[in-house]
Amino acid sequence: MTLMANALAVERASLRYGTFQALIDVTFSVGEGQLVTLLGPSGCGKTTLLKAIAGFMPLDSGRIEISGRDMQGVPPEKRDTAMCFQSYALFPHLSVAENIAFGLRQRRIKSSDIASRVAAVAQQVGLSPQLEKLPGQLSGGQQQRVALARAMAVHPGVMLFDEPLSNLDLKLRDHVRIEIRALQREHGFTAVYVTHDQQEALAMSDLVIVMRNGMIEQMGPPEQIYRHPVNRFVADFVGTANIMPVDVLASDQKSGRYEVTCPFGKAIIHSATPPVGSRIYACWRPEDAMLTSEITEEENRFTFDISARTFLGSLCNLALSPRNGAAEAFFRIQTHGFTPVREGQTVDVVIPPDAIRFLEEVVA
Amino acid sequence: MTNNQTLKAYLLLLPGLLPIIAFMSLVVGMAVSQSIGFFNFSGADQFSIQSWREILSQDQFWRAFLYSARTATLSAILSVLLAYPIALWLRRPFPGSDLISAMIKAPILVHGLVAAFLFVNFISFQGFLNVALVNLGFTASPMRMQNDTYAIGVVILQVWKNMPFAFLIIVGSVRAIGDDILDAARGLGAGWLARLRRIILPLTLRSLQAALVLIFIVAAGDYSFQAVAGPTSVNSLAQFMVRTQADNGANGWNEAAVVAVMLMGLSLFGSLIVAGLTQLAVRRMRR
Amino acid sequence: MHGITSSRTVWYRRLSIGLALAVFFFALALPFALAVLWSLVDPAHPWAYPAVLPPVLSLRRWLEVWTTSALPQALYNSYMLAACVSIATLLLASSAAYALGRMEFVGKSIIHLLTLVPLIIPNFISAIFFSALLIELDVYSRFLGVLIGHTVSLLPYAIRLMTVSFAMVRQDLIDAARDLGASPLTVFRTAYLPVIKPGLLAALIIVFILSIEEFAISYIVGAPDFITVPTILYSYLGYNFIRPNAAAVSLILVVPNVVLMLIAERLLRSADPAIVTGKG
Repeated sequence: MTLMANALAVERASLRYGTFQALIDVTFSVGEGQLVTLLGPSGCGKTTLLKAIAGFMPLDSGRIEISGRDMQGVPPEKRDTAMCFQSYALFPHLSVAENIAFGLRQRRIKSSDIASRVAAVAQQVGLSPQLEKLPGQLSGGQQQRVALARAMAVHPGVMLFDEPLSNLDLKLRDHVRIEIRALQREHGFTAVYVTHDQQEALAMSDLVIVMRNGMIEQMGPPEQIYRHPVNRFVADFVGTANIMPVDVLASDQKSGRYEVTCPFGKAIIHSATPPVGSRIYACWRPEDAMLTSEITEEENRFTFDISARTFLGSLCNLALSPRNGAAEAFFRIQTHGFTPVREGQTVDVVIPPDAIRFLEEVVA
Repeated sequence: MTNNQTLKAYLLLLPGLLPIIAFMSLVVGMAVSQSIGFFNFSGADQFSIQSWREILSQDQFWRAFLYSARTATLSAILSVLLAYPIALWLRRPFPGSDLISAMIKAPILVHGLVAAFLFVNFISFQGFLNVALVNLGFTASPMRMQNDTYAIGVVILQVWKNMPFAFLIIVGSVRAIGDDILDAARGLGAGWLARLRRIILPLTLRSLQAALVLIFIVAAGDYSFQAVAGPTSVNSLAQFMVRTQADNGANGWNEAAVVAVMLMGLSLFGSLIVAGLTQLAVRRMRR
Repeated sequence: MHGITSSRTVWYRRLSIGLALAVFFFALALPFALAVLWSLVDPAHPWAYPAVLPPVLSLRRWLEVWTTSALPQALYNSYMLAACVSIATLLLASSAAYALGRMEFVGKSIIHLLTLVPLIIPNFISAIFFSALLIELDVYSRFLGVLIGHTVSLLPYAIRLMTVSFAMVRQDLIDAARDLGASPLTVFRTAYLPVIKPGLLAALIIVFILSIEEFAISYIVGAPDFITVPTILYSYLGYNFIRPNAAAVSLILVVPNVVLMLIAERLLRSADPAIVTGKG
């Protein structure tokens, strides 16, 4: 693997508003042509981080480099970034063409070149017939495209997206998401994408950065974030997870085989990484569990009562409470297709040992 | 159904609207018809342009006309020039901004005649300004500043009284521009001057024009400021109209009517010209 | 905004607030203070040029203005007239405001503009040719003339303010009240009145103030028989400039109106429907 040039590097970035610490020691870098998502609940600092990269909010400490250049003291208008706003922020008095040309004219490009570039970008996002209209005359999806085209037109070193899809309806959202990713791949622009929608993050990123309370909780490719969450927050925020405290009874680090007690009995866990303590949290995904009608394994086989069943068409969600465990604990599993079980019925479930992950230590 | 609704609405509108329309059309109609010899208080009613000839050939009338046009234009432009940066400054609230907007709006509560008195009292021969200048050693003896020939005092009063209105009209439209829009422009490389020229001015053009038109009309029809603080060698149009009516006996009404029609014309076309020129200027700056 | 830049911004802001305060002081506070001072100059000891401060202060000037001039009569006229004008204006404006605020009909925007016409005709033109009209119609009562003139020229303000109030009444509250079987009177009391009351009072006060301040019609139509406070003030400002008297009358004209205006502003601010209905 060749070492990629960093289009963007953030080092120990911290920022506070009054007494509220919005960013704490955030460090990450983005390779040329990569799409990185900043994922987290509202107030986690993801938008603040994006605005700091754009230059709208100066950092208290730390540094931001774009294409190897330190951005300290560089105002937003001098940075090689372009932002797609959640509100689109289109200039209402300018036509679509003038909106797209805005950044180019600011860069003192010849007007004949501007016209050809505007036409080319409009073509790419499918806006050619709308060029002379005003933003107010366009639909939400079209406005979102204008915002995208306006940012793309200046060929920024880093494209910044601030929850660009949150004002679109569900169907259109999927469509535009695929489109943004396709454009990003095709033109190879570097992008930082802020969202609170974990599906969006998993679907379109090269790298996902999960944030909470101004700090990075975990960073990695989407599969890794989903399959190997490092703590309860990430496990719960990205996808659905059954999280439970476990006590490690026996461990064999060489083979990676661990024996634990969990709320519904003794379980075996296969893990490449050892647990960080003797009493820790572990998690597993609902879709990893199997009903024993489908399989005949004996390891990690447990008996549950079905307390609720939700039929979703292609999937079926079951809420289970353990036969011989704490009464209030309940777990979710997800099966494919039609599952012929009823509420109140007892089922045997197998949780594969390599589907259970160790998380952080239980702090009393 | 809709027709019924409309009929009902118009019936409800009558008590409020009818007096306005009746009063205004009667007053304007009175002025126009008296200017051409009808509704005479002396002699028979008959069409005549005698009063128009009389007034339009008077040197004094044209001086009054130009004087009103000039002070109105100056007052409108200066008020807006002063109000605009303040409105930009107070676009987003900050500690103390409420206090400042309250102070800016204060002159609205002061009657025009009182304002004129305060001003004259301030600059008069033994007013505060002269006493201060003499005591601080800037001048040897008090200066005569009252009723200055160039009507600087009148323009100052107009700006003092009308700037708050300009501010109120403009600040609303400046505040309506979203932060995102300005941030977007910034992110695309627009510095503050480019943002002002290409985003803020075009988006606030309508309120800019509204403020200019309003102040132009108010200042063109001014009587009190001119009477109290204006130059004694020239009249404002309103003052000239009142004087013409009072001095010239029975004919006065007809001649005053001519002045009134000219004043309405000045208000209408003058304010349109000022608004049109502003639009041209902003359009040009957008490039 | 943050960190290193914040202290600079704060200083810049303090400086500009200081500047604004200084401008305010010279443009408003000081002139008013001088007016107060002038109104307290003792008639027997005039305040002449080289003196920085008046030699003797007393309330005798106020007493003299009150007893020797027509001021008491003018005050009575002004306030009496303003009360009549504001009630008449409100009565005429309310149904139009209801139509403009709560109904959709053809030509609404044109009607809206029409209501504003009195604001763009220069005051003195309305005043002079209204007086011509009164002569033509053989109306010789000065009071009636001024009353009609004020009412019509202040109607636009009342209509505008009350239109906003009526527009703020929530249709769902009206519907709910009717759905629960309320009589028209009860609907008005529960759904309309709480929302429009502040706007109504504010309109009343603002028209009251504007009527007291109106000069053109009062001067042209009313004078010399029907004098109001502004016409008295004007008589002290003209060719016979009587400074201490003008100072006293100025204060009498401004101070009550400022107080009333502050009340009106408070009322208008409380007219927010979210507060009235308890919903955000």
